[in-house]
Amino acid sequence: MHSNAFFLGKGGVGKTTLSAAFGLALARSGKKVLVASLDPAHNLGDVYRTVLRDTPVPVEPNLDALEVDLAAWVDKYLEESRTEMKTTYSYAGTLNLDSFFDIMKYSPGTEEYAVLWAIEHIHCDLAAGYDVVVFDTPPTALSLRFLAMPAISNLWVAELTKLRERILDRRTSITRINPESAVAASCVDKDDDKVYGRLGSIRKRLSALQNLFSKESYVAVVLNPDHLSVSEALRIQEELGKIDIPLSGLCVNKRGVSKADWSLDKRLAGIRAFDFTFRTGGLHEREDLRTIETEALVADFLASGPKGRA
Amino acid sequence: MNKILRKVKRAWQIMGQVNRERAVGMLEFELKELENIFTLLILGGFVGMPSPPAPIAIELLPLLEREMAVMLNRSDFAQDPVGALMGILEVD
Repeated sequence: MHSNAFFLGKGGVGKTTLSAAFGLALARSGKKVLVASLDPAHNLGDVYRTVLRDTPVPVEPNLDALEVDLAAWVDKYLEESRTEMKTTYSYAGTLNLDSFFDIMKYSPGTEEYAVLWAIEHIHCDLAAGYDVVVFDTPPTALSLRFLAMPAISNLWVAELTKLRERILDRRTSITRINPESAVAASCVDKDDDKVYGRLGSIRKRLSALQNLFSKESYVAVVLNPDHLSVSEALRIQEELGKIDIPLSGLCVNKRGVSKADWSLDKRLAGIRAFDFTFRTGGLHEREDLRTIETEALVADFLASGPKGRA
Repeated sequence: MNKILRKVKRAWQIMGQVNRERAVGMLEFELKELENIFTLLILGGFVGMPSPPAPIAIELLPLLEREMAVMLNRSDFAQDPVGALMGILEVD
């Protein structure tokens, strides 16, 4: 069994509902489950009829849930960097660092990283208390960006590490030939060089996240029986394929909502599909989630993973 | 006699140091270029150059005091890099 499940898909296809129903079904089968919403527009708490916070809140026995506060994660990270910057560049106190960091909130990549830090926190600090962590993700664009971020960032970090090694190599040569050179006062050893050390720790963190996404997670795409969400599912499959994240399942939600012609693209044929009938009466109580046919999906999840057993 | 020997020894030491300084001149030039490129790669995003995601830059920024000083120093002769290189090679 995998230790994590991700539900991806186009906005409005039913990711939150299926994540919630899947988490509930697993919890009632005896697994200790945490359902985490990564979507900035949270409504997991509405589905569970429970007020959720940034920390796990008990929903019922074996089932906890949380809604990640992305803005708080961005603020926390920038505050740490701001403190470190002020300590290092204390002589540059006249610079308006506060306004610089305020702008950084809106820098491309910051939101994706906030999602990664939140996942890392859940994986490292909370997951040990659970058998399974279910992630309800934001709509496709942000989800694909944060899933790809470890792989892309690691390419940069690998190149920067190589360059740093060359720098340290030249410093070593200069110090050997001329110990009185000004360069001798700077770091020449990999073990002492803080930049090299920091690059190593960034690489380690990103590799752990990449491993979590590609090897330790059951990734399911939720789609509706319409051409738009099928096209989006294909795009997700293609993009995830580029970063070695295999798709484990397709959740065809809202079956029967429309009589329009529809077919699953043959490129998605190799992935196991699960049908979920549209509930015309709606979902009003938490118990209504039990009417969603999650049995086959849960069975596939329990049989998945490196060991292929629950 | 001792005084003369000390002076000869001192002269020998100075000659050795001058030679060492000359020997590492090119390496120091290359090192500064590498440090400059490293900083430019990390901070390039702030001036529109391709760069790693901003959070990586922010994480490394507090540790780049020396590299930033080198980069600012290099910018002084950014208009004449060949001239700087010729200076190192002592080409008149």
